[in-house]
Amino acid sequence: MSLSDSRPARSLTALPARWRTAALLMPLVVLDGLVFLVPMGYLFRLSFTERTSGGAFVEGSWSLAGYEYVAETPLVHEIFAFTVGYAVLVTALAVGVAVVYAYAIWRATGWPRTFLLAGAVCSLFTTIVVKLFAVVLVFSPRGVLNDFLTGAGLLAEPLFVVDNLAGAVLAQLYIVVPYAILAVYAVLSTLDDRLVEAARDLGADGIDVFREVVLPHARPGVAVAAIVSFTWSIGAYPAPLLVGSGSEQTTAILVSQLLLAEFDWPAAAALAVVTVGVVLVTLLAGLWGLDDGGELLG
Amino acid sequence: MSCLAETATARSWLFRVVVATLFGLLVLPLAIVVATAFDASSAVVFPPTELSLRWFGELLASRTWLRSLANSLLVATGTSALSMLVGTTAALGLRGYDGRFRSGLVGLALLPLLVPGVVIAVTLLTFFSAFGLQQSYLALVLAHSLWATPLTFSVMQSTFARFDWQLHEAAMDLGASRLTAFRTVVVPEVRAGLVVAALVAFIVSLQEFVMALFLSGPDTRTVPVQAWNSLRQSLDPLVSVVSTLLLAAVLLLVLLGGALAGLDRLATDT
Repeated sequence: MSLSDSRPARSLTALPARWRTAALLMPLVVLDGLVFLVPMGYLFRLSFTERTSGGAFVEGSWSLAGYEYVAETPLVHEIFAFTVGYAVLVTALAVGVAVVYAYAIWRATGWPRTFLLAGAVCSLFTTIVVKLFAVVLVFSPRGVLNDFLTGAGLLAEPLFVVDNLAGAVLAQLYIVVPYAILAVYAVLSTLDDRLVEAARDLGADGIDVFREVVLPHARPGVAVAAIVSFTWSIGAYPAPLLVGSGSEQTTAILVSQLLLAEFDWPAAAALAVVTVGVVLVTLLAGLWGLDDGGELLG
Repeated sequence: MSCLAETATARSWLFRVVVATLFGLLVLPLAIVVATAFDASSAVVFPPTELSLRWFGELLASRTWLRSLANSLLVATGTSALSMLVGTTAALGLRGYDGRFRSGLVGLALLPLLVPGVVIAVTLLTFFSAFGLQQSYLALVLAHSLWATPLTFSVMQSTFARFDWQLHEAAMDLGASRLTAFRTVVVPEVRAGLVVAALVAFIVSLQEFVMALFLSGPDTRTVPVQAWNSLRQSLDPLVSVVSTLLLAAVLLLVLLGGALAGLDRLATDT
């Protein structure tokens, strides 16, 4: 058997395998291609069309009017700045809560652990609308919490945490925190108990162990939690709309208004493209910042 | 020394109180929503004053709500089927691959999860209206599949990774065709994973709100969208009732998923 003899035989068995792989991956490529990449391309193209008062956009035209609107309207700047600040605030709080909660799951055993984990998973899968309904029901001035606190004499006046910034942040936290918890927990669950025991044997107390062993190990999970919280909050829509007051306007709310109420598609598309740009830059920066960024995708 | 030990215990108690508070904040509001569904009065009240199933009856009498329930079930079934097909084939296709090719495709599958829902919704709304597909069931199923597929893919991938593929090879060596070997040897072994993945996709679609808000019309409105519309007007006991149903569906997923795959896997795989 020489090398030249074995080659055609090998490529014959290799060929069907390659085709098989291609066939198996086809559905994914078609779905994400046709329903995600192509529409995103269409949005990108729309953002370069001319604005018109007669219809949604001028077909076949090329113009930077949409981006000029985004760049030159003070209201858009204001809303954009508010959205970024809001997303940063939500992200910081969500990551803080997630680290504590995920660490608690990791440390707990038996039933407490099951309940903590199940609570996070249940909240994760529960629709945004039910969570917002719950927030309004519990936290509004005449809601369950205020009734309880004023009834028990702990508070003289009800707390106002709905229809303002606090409400919008609180409601958004209910949406992103479960994802953040599970992102941190997924990484933490791979931490070897023996490492912690070793640290304790060497004289470290609880806080030292947390700071020196647990946190460094959880770093990639914390990064994922931050990325997810940020990208989801930069696109926040229902929480500020329902639980915020009129002044908690986010870019997502503006995009939908431009699209549906003002029928200004080039401006809406340009603003959406800018938002996606911010998300992608954050994502790439996050992946780049992690030495093992590739693992996030695996 | 005893002073140090005392602060350590105090700290550990403080930690427990903080965690219990967080758990309460996470779960109690949902429990309160459920409790309000079982009250007789026509306002949303907590604690319930008079236990009654009145509003469950009202729900069954409301054509709008029944319609949205049927819409939700239809879209969730379609999403589950489509994302299972796409996610499972992709997990099989990428088995044994590494490196750039793999991360490229996984990245493509994950990307829709990271783009804000409103942006995807707006994009698909403008795109689908070019084909007259806006407000159709197909638009909702396709949009929901974008988010459900990365999850079915990830559950199936870790399921297949636990399977001993030499059994598959052995079946083929014994003369079974690739497909027969897959059906008779692999499928029974990964059945739990298949059920969990399909269930996760179903629930994700059932609960999805933002994309449905933009892409559904009066005839295709799903339950979360219907609930949102009525929430924007007032607190309606019917919303408590449908919320209870949606929460029951989630609980079913968590119990079944926990029993079939273990809660830990359900939490980390998705």
